Amino acid sequence: MTDTHEQEKKQFKRLFAQQGVDQFDMRLMVLDAFLKLEHHVTIQEIMEQLAQDGNQLSEEFVLNSMELLCRFGFANKNEFDVNKTQYEHRHLGLHHDHMVCTKCGTILEFKDEAIEKQQLKVADAYGFHMLQHKMEIYGICSACMEDRRVLVPLHKARPGEKLIVKDFSAGQNMQSRVSSMGLRIGDTIEVVSSGFGGQVVIAAGENRLVLGKGMAEKISVQPLDPVSILTLEKDQDVEETVDVPIPLKHMKKGQEGIIRKVSGEGVFRRRLLEMGINRGSKIYVEKYAPLKDPIELVIKGFHISLRVEEAANILVENVKYKKR
Amino acid sequence: MKKKFTLALAGNPNCGKTTIFNNLTGARQKVGNWPGVTVEKKEGILKHKDYELKIVDLPGTYSLTPFSIEEITARDFIINETPDIVVNIIDASNLERSLFLAIQILELGRPAIFVLNMADVAQAKGIKIDEKKLSQLLGLPVVFTVGNKNKGIENLVEAAVQEIHQFESGKKSRDIRYSLEIENCIVKIESCITESQIQIDGMPRWNAIKILEDDKIVKQKLMDQNSQIAQHVFQEAKLCRERIHTLFEDDFEIVLTDDRYGVIAGIIKEIVSNLARKRIDMSRNIDLVLTDRFFGIPVFVFFIWAMFQLTFSLGEYPMGWIESGVSFLSTSLDNILPASLLKDLLLDGVIAGIGSVVIFLPNILILFFCIALFEDTGYMARTAFLMDRVMHASGLHGKSFIPMLMGFGCNVPAIMATRTLESPQDRILTILMTPFMSCSARLPVYIVLAGSFFGNQAGTVIFSLYLTGIIVAILSGRLLRNLLFKGAEAPFIMELPPYRMPMLKSLLIHMWDRSKMFLKKMGGVILAGSVIIWCLSSFPRNISYSQDYSLKMASVKSDYELKIAGTDQKTAQKLNTELALILGDIENKKEQERVSKSYIGRIGKFLEPVFSPVGIGWRAGVALVTGLVAKEVVVSTMGVLYGVGNSGGQALERALKKSGMTKLSALSMMVFVLLYMPCFATIAMIYKETSAKWAGFSLIYTTSVAWGGAFLVYQTGKIFGLG
Repeated sequence: MTDTHEQEKKQFKRLFAQQGVDQFDMRLMVLDAFLKLEHHVTIQEIMEQLAQDGNQLSEEFVLNSMELLCRFGFANKNEFDVNKTQYEHRHLGLHHDHMVCTKCGTILEFKDEAIEKQQLKVADAYGFHMLQHKMEIYGICSACMEDRRVLVPLHKARPGEKLIVKDFSAGQNMQSRVSSMGLRIGDTIEVVSSGFGGQVVIAAGENRLVLGKGMAEKISVQPLDPVSILTLEKDQDVEETVDVPIPLKHMKKGQEGIIRKVSGEGVFRRRLLEMGINRGSKIYVEKYAPLKDPIELVIKGFHISLRVEEAANILVENVKYKKR
Repeated sequence: MKKKFTLALAGNPNCGKTTIFNNLTGARQKVGNWPGVTVEKKEGILKHKDYELKIVDLPGTYSLTPFSIEEITARDFIINETPDIVVNIIDASNLERSLFLAIQILELGRPAIFVLNMADVAQAKGIKIDEKKLSQLLGLPVVFTVGNKNKGIENLVEAAVQEIHQFESGKKSRDIRYSLEIENCIVKIESCITESQIQIDGMPRWNAIKILEDDKIVKQKLMDQNSQIAQHVFQEAKLCRERIHTLFEDDFEIVLTDDRYGVIAGIIKEIVSNLARKRIDMSRNIDLVLTDRFFGIPVFVFFIWAMFQLTFSLGEYPMGWIESGVSFLSTSLDNILPASLLKDLLLDGVIAGIGSVVIFLPNILILFFCIALFEDTGYMARTAFLMDRVMHASGLHGKSFIPMLMGFGCNVPAIMATRTLESPQDRILTILMTPFMSCSARLPVYIVLAGSFFGNQAGTVIFSLYLTGIIVAILSGRLLRNLLFKGAEAPFIMELPPYRMPMLKSLLIHMWDRSKMFLKKMGGVILAGSVIIWCLSSFPRNISYSQDYSLKMASVKSDYELKIAGTDQKTAQKLNTELALILGDIENKKEQERVSKSYIGRIGKFLEPVFSPVGIGWRAGVALVTGLVAKEVVVSTMGVLYGVGNSGGQALERALKKSGMTKLSALSMMVFVLLYMPCFATIAMIYKETSAKWAGFSLIYTTSVAWGGAFLVYQTGKIFGLG
């Protein structure tokens, strides 16, 4: 790491010298402090580091320097909405996305090839040429989650969280009141908002319920972890539906969709149409051949095979998994 | 007097059309539309009441747009030869797509009836079809049949005959109406054509649609009639097309296709009711294994292995019988007939030549049985599905795999099997590559040469040869694709038909039909070839030998007779065998000299400068030339030329080694045998399937590749000091 830091400094010197940036030495101090921290830092944290190194600089100057560093590609500026503006060291050629914990503010860096590809795919399907993207996932980090594995009172839940109602630790009176509102043990609820003096707004199915602090305290809930949400939804056969039309070649085994468009060269296209691959028809991906090419499709009740490159000419919408 | 009518059977591939044809005519043929199925129409005669009905089986097509040979054949027949009625067989369990063709047939305006076949399958699927309603909507009779159970065939014939009479008494088929804009265009062009009073084949409305679809064949027909009017019509059509294009942002034919499917969807809604839930789809379950990600290819490899195992191991027994039968025939004839030139021709030319073909009959029968089994079950389509990726890499289509594979058995049926490749370019390319697949006739040559020179490594050497053949084929494919067929590759759109239980009877008939074709076509060519080679090796008759062999033989004989006379019985026996050996040796020497001085020997010597850079001596060169008759003849010719007669085996091995042939030159020769021009039969087949041009090209190309390959092997080997 120090090696790259040394190189970065050299580059920094060269670039800033070329560009004739003023107060060169002081800016170098800012970079030094920034690189030492090597994580997501706020201006304040940089100021503190500078102070530790025995340098006193004005906040305005540090801010200005960080902007410059961003401009020359040494730093990235992130504005996660729970925290203040933060800066991170930008490693050239290495892209990553962030997960931000809304409880403790921890920032995790991650990279997932499938997501990266999916973004390109979606952009491509819209005929959009993607240059770059920013992806931030907000949620609760595993450490915070661990603290809440066990039952928690409802008023501590965060907005957006999905929960299962486990218990009412209240008297007969209140229980019947809650029940009359349509909330039962075992229901899945989502927190719409919280705060405002302990008042919690939840969504239970189609209903919105407002619970006072007193009541919310007495309802024990268990967070539903996202993985189980996925499996839950799969069982109900309502798995992710991609509304964006995607080329047939990006469809997976077991997916079904509706043909939106068939493009391609004259004879070939006509052939496809005559075989029944026309706009509006349902198309199901039965499987890919063992060597990944061609694809076996089911259309109008018969099986047909196409090469992957040819399947690129067919745009399919409403793609979803379907059991056959 | 009997009335004569012609019935043409049309329909999608795999709709059971051929089964119905077989039921109608009694003659059974191929089911399916896969390699090996012929494109030619098939005919049969059916007597029904007072009628004599000629039934013509048209090739299976998905539409009447002239894309492939099959479609053009089917369309031309219906339009040009005007059968009295078109019988459109429809797969009842697959109505939507089948109706696409049905509508086009209806549009032709010819008398037609629709046959809902596989009614049982449809019923099992829970599809109920209201045939009366369908008949009403289309304005033509509709009958149900179950082809493989021979149900409803009577009704079909009766309905067809009735319908012919209906049309004779003035019935007109109903028009399918499309959406307003399309309809406007059609009416406009139709009136253009009718006003001009031009008669083109088929209905004006159909012609109008075809011209609007930019159909080259129909346009040409109009052009031939009257180019001035044609220009006018085309101009109008162009305007219409442009109008449709601005309205729908797509070509006329595409919009019309969509519209046709729209009409079909409407018909289906009216006539079909789904009764039960779908039952278990057996086909899908079978495919869970046969085209599985992991099992698919191993299972495929196993099937292929089993096929070859059957073909060559099981085939060995009858081959042995045939061989001994042929040799028995030739020895008995040898004993009966007096010595003459004609006898030589009969024994060494005709019988030997035909024998060399007939001997392959068991192989061919078994191979074709397996292929028929693959086809009739529906597995053939899966092999193309599994192998397309591999074939695509060498610029070919998945369907080319089967012909290439069959090439390992025999190139002749392999080339026949290329017929249903849709694009002519793919066909020619596959045909050109197939001869590099080392056919079974080349194996005896490898066995002799590799066995003699490579001992324990013979197996490895032979395997490498097969592999070399495959690699050369792939490289050739890429090369020729890039040089000669630059155009786009044919799209890989292929139906995977449901698996069906094959009928043994039909399997046997398919097998026999093809083998018969093999025997018929090849018998003649090989016979001619054998006779030519025999003539070349038997003439001139008056050879001046370097020594008087008969005198020598006589003197040896008398020497021994003297010796034998003076000894006891035991020694006499020993001496007798010795004498026989010496006499045989002299006989072989005489034969050797005779052949070397015959025309073929002269050709061999003439060719010596060509063969010497690749390390092949003139004798082996002659053997290669005779190998044109059939590759395995190379071995027997070598036997003669190296003076060991037909005793072959170890004697030949010793003779080969004595003649100065080395490991390297043996290898070079094997490479040459692997790659050089295919046998007469194959060339004849290439000529029949393509043209003289391609047959010639194949001849020159393979031989140059062979020479190049052998040269490379021999010269590289020499550099490394292996010679």
